[in-house]
Amino acid sequence: MKKFMNPFAPSRYLPEKASQIKEWVRMRHGLGDDVVVAVSELACRDYGCPDIETVIGIMRPGEKIETIRVHKPIVDIERDDFK
Amino acid sequence: MDSTPVFLLTGFLGAGKSTLLNRLLSDPEFADTAVVINEFGDVAIDHDLVRAGKTQVVRSTTGCMCCTAGSDIRTTLYELQTLAEKGEIALRRVIVETTGLADPAPLINDLIPGGSPAVGLRDHVVARNFALAGVVTLVDIETGEAAIDNHFEAMKQIAFADRLLMTKTDLVRDGGSTEGVALFRTKLANANPAAQIFDGKTSDFNPSMLFQARAYVPASLGDDVIAWLALEEAVRAEKPRAHGQTGAGQQAVDRHGDRIRTFTLIREEPVVPAAFRKFMGLVSAAAGPRLLRVKGIVSLSDDLTHPHVVHAVQHMVHPPRKLHAWPNEDHRTRLVFITDGIDPEPVQKLFVAALDNQPSRVYRRFTDLGSGLKNLFHAAVTRPKRDETRKMENS
Repeated sequence: MKKFMNPFAPSRYLPEKASQIKEWVRMRHGLGDDVVVAVSELACRDYGCPDIETVIGIMRPGEKIETIRVHKPIVDIERDDFK
Repeated sequence: MDSTPVFLLTGFLGAGKSTLLNRLLSDPEFADTAVVINEFGDVAIDHDLVRAGKTQVVRSTTGCMCCTAGSDIRTTLYELQTLAEKGEIALRRVIVETTGLADPAPLINDLIPGGSPAVGLRDHVVARNFALAGVVTLVDIETGEAAIDNHFEAMKQIAFADRLLMTKTDLVRDGGSTEGVALFRTKLANANPAAQIFDGKTSDFNPSMLFQARAYVPASLGDDVIAWLALEEAVRAEKPRAHGQTGAGQQAVDRHGDRIRTFTLIREEPVVPAAFRKFMGLVSAAAGPRLLRVKGIVSLSDDLTHPHVVHAVQHMVHPPRKLHAWPNEDHRTRLVFITDGIDPEPVQKLFVAALDNQPSRVYRRFTDLGSGLKNLFHAAVTRPKRDETRKMENS
């Protein structure tokens, strides 16, 4: 069967965008090197749940993890979402 | 008592997980292996595509990761343990095949010490009798890079692996060159420096290498992996919210189904091979990377006794593979689609128009899909016409 290639397929560049979001969160919250920031995109396929959201975890040593939920896919997140 | 090793077999849609499973299950070395197929989609077609033989194959669900409904992997393992203790099955290892869209973090948290807390007898029995012994991630060399760039799940599947298997590498060896394979291997090594990387198409490759029990140590895989596991557990532990509700003060969102969609096309009558090829070519051309996955069983009109398995991944439509026999009494053509932002309706209409051989409707339905790839369309529909003309002239 013939294979079709689409050279114009758009890319979301997720690894780069995740790194950028970590930087924005670090700057916004003034986080030091001892704080771990995790970024994850969670998808839910059950009826009524948000289709996709970005969850950011701020992990300060000895403290409960602080989570920030942004109801957007990672690719749509902007610096202003953390104001 | 030694724990039964559990292996997670993951990889983005179309990476070749079911193919590898079939190969494993035909190997006597993998007798007494239970397979748990973690499916996504409204038709459990993976069941039919895995040749089970005497292997214990069970189905589990992914659950919902953004709220409280977790996966049911512990329940499934508990049931397997119960069967083993009754002597109804022999259990030397368990392989959990995840859906291609799975985020591995919740499953891994359910299977490692220090992950999700045990909350009842069932969870304690599972923790005592099973141990996560490896995460194997398959990466399709043709579509893997695009998957990593576009789907967060694909990125995490690679990061969580302690064994990475490059698949379909034979398709990129141009004149025997291995340059493309070496380049891809380097990219994977950059993404996950701790994982061992295998090439599934080399002569010395043996799948059993991937499923030798070892200790799965998330800490050895880097800070991101540890952070994702912690974040997943924190999200799960947050105040439960029912499906369909957003938290107080959060932006109300009504968007479920806006992006990732799964749907099934079913046809009672056998399909004409040329018409089916036309349909697959058109839908692939129109949808491109938004066509995440198509898999299914097809009844072709020129070979009713043998079903054909079809696979398409994004823009790649693979040749149908003939099975020796139908897996059960259901002899209908069944195609499961997983798409990114494509509604079922235009695909369904294109399916009907193409298989009913209605060229004018096919054109309309094709443009409904929104690609505007008219040249491809004309190439696809005019070629059969010329063939038909030739046939008529020859008859």
